[in-house]
Amino acid sequence: MRPVLALRDVRYRYADAEREAIAGVSLTVSAGEWVGVIGPTNAGKSTLCYLAMGLAPHFFGGRLRGELTVFGVDTRRQKVAERSTRVGLLFQNPFTQLSGARERVSEEVAFGPEWHGLPADEVAVRVSEALRLVDLEALAERHPLDLSGGQLQRLALASLLVMRPELLLLDEPTSQLDPAGTNALLQVLAGLHRSGTTIVMVEQKLEAVAALCPRVVALADGRVIADGPPEAVFADPAVEESTGLPAYARLAKAAGLPPPWPVTVEAAEKAFHRA
Amino acid sequence: MVGIGLLVICLQLIAGVFRRFLVVAITLLAPITVLLLIVQGLVNPANRTVVVPAGGFSLYREGLLIALLTAARLVDLIAATFLFSFATRPQDLAEALIQKGLSPRIGYVVQSALQIIPQTLEMVSRIQDAQRARGLETEGRLLTRARAFIPLLLPVVLSSLVATQERAMALDVRGFGLPGARRQRYVLPDSVGQRVLRWALVALVPAAVVSRILGWR
Repeated sequence: MRPVLALRDVRYRYADAEREAIAGVSLTVSAGEWVGVIGPTNAGKSTLCYLAMGLAPHFFGGRLRGELTVFGVDTRRQKVAERSTRVGLLFQNPFTQLSGARERVSEEVAFGPEWHGLPADEVAVRVSEALRLVDLEALAERHPLDLSGGQLQRLALASLLVMRPELLLLDEPTSQLDPAGTNALLQVLAGLHRSGTTIVMVEQKLEAVAALCPRVVALADGRVIADGPPEAVFADPAVEESTGLPAYARLAKAAGLPPPWPVTVEAAEKAFHRA
Repeated sequence: MVGIGLLVICLQLIAGVFRRFLVVAITLLAPITVLLLIVQGLVNPANRTVVVPAGGFSLYREGLLIALLTAARLVDLIAATFLFSFATRPQDLAEALIQKGLSPRIGYVVQSALQIIPQTLEMVSRIQDAQRARGLETEGRLLTRARAFIPLLLPVVLSSLVATQERAMALDVRGFGLPGARRQRYVLPDSVGQRVLRWALVALVPAAVVSRILGWR
């Protein structure tokens, strides 16, 4: 598999920061992977997204060392806006991701492709495709501010998908959504994963990460402390100490089952049956 | 002056804006006009001819005429602004300006500036919800509401700043500011009649200035 995102001994310090937010990370993500990134506050999860998007250092300044390539291009050599056709980054707050200049959902989605100079008929095709992917076709003519939080976050996602990115970075995309909104968004992501989009998702909801991501990377203090399938990562005592465990694994542990603990409902059911 | 006012009001009727203008006319313009009539009619230094004799409080023809002229100017200005702002979609305005050569970045600033008010109101209502949840009284008598306004200021300003940073990043991520790539979003209808009228209006501006200098009324 060709690497989509490759970091070799990457270190990054924000301007005016005392310590490195990313303190020596080596990591390769291949095409089509869905990687969940977990870790406590200040572990460097968001910074990892900013680095992959190029916002760090282009937007934040600061000092970047080591080798960091996305689709083989050094991030230092490519502006964020130029990268936006292949990489998309979804933020936590659905509200602040609106352009603030559009009065209809469909126009909001068209904002990106217009800046890329796509002809109007192609923009229209892409907009309806993106709205279909996030299941917002029915609301295309509404004002963005009339949408719920969950719908807004899907609108923000559609605004990225309209660029047809090959790599999606998600920085805690469900943290401000209710359970229904979270579910709807995760289903959209599962569909994108099936159709081949590479996804790197920072997420606090460990149950969701364990159920959806075939690979989990645990960060702490700017370093990778575990990297592998969810069962293996959550069996690591360092991960348990810094980040905690998904509910099913906590239950299995409390019931006295030996690690690796089950991390999904189905696996937990089987494990309890065997025991 | 009165002719222009009538013309604008006719256009308002066509555009369906007149109803909203009427509210402003009654609540704001009418009292101002009455006030102008009284003050100018009583004390304008050019007052010579008495129209309504009342001893020391007589109203004079010259002052009343000046008051009417000023009021007519106000009505014209406000009616025209009303017609413009309610009959024009900000997006179409910005798009038209961009197609006429305005930088798309500035065009974005125009569009987003026109949307700041509804967005800020949305943010204010969310902060107020949170404050109410923590026991702050935000409704009721005027004094209570005034008191609730002060703790609102800091969070509104701070969250605006945070929102600005995140929005700047989100716009960057969507390709904002790529040089020279942007194409026109849609073709704005521009008939021959509109074009003729537009140029005629442009030509009228120097004509109005010249006529003013020459002292025509």
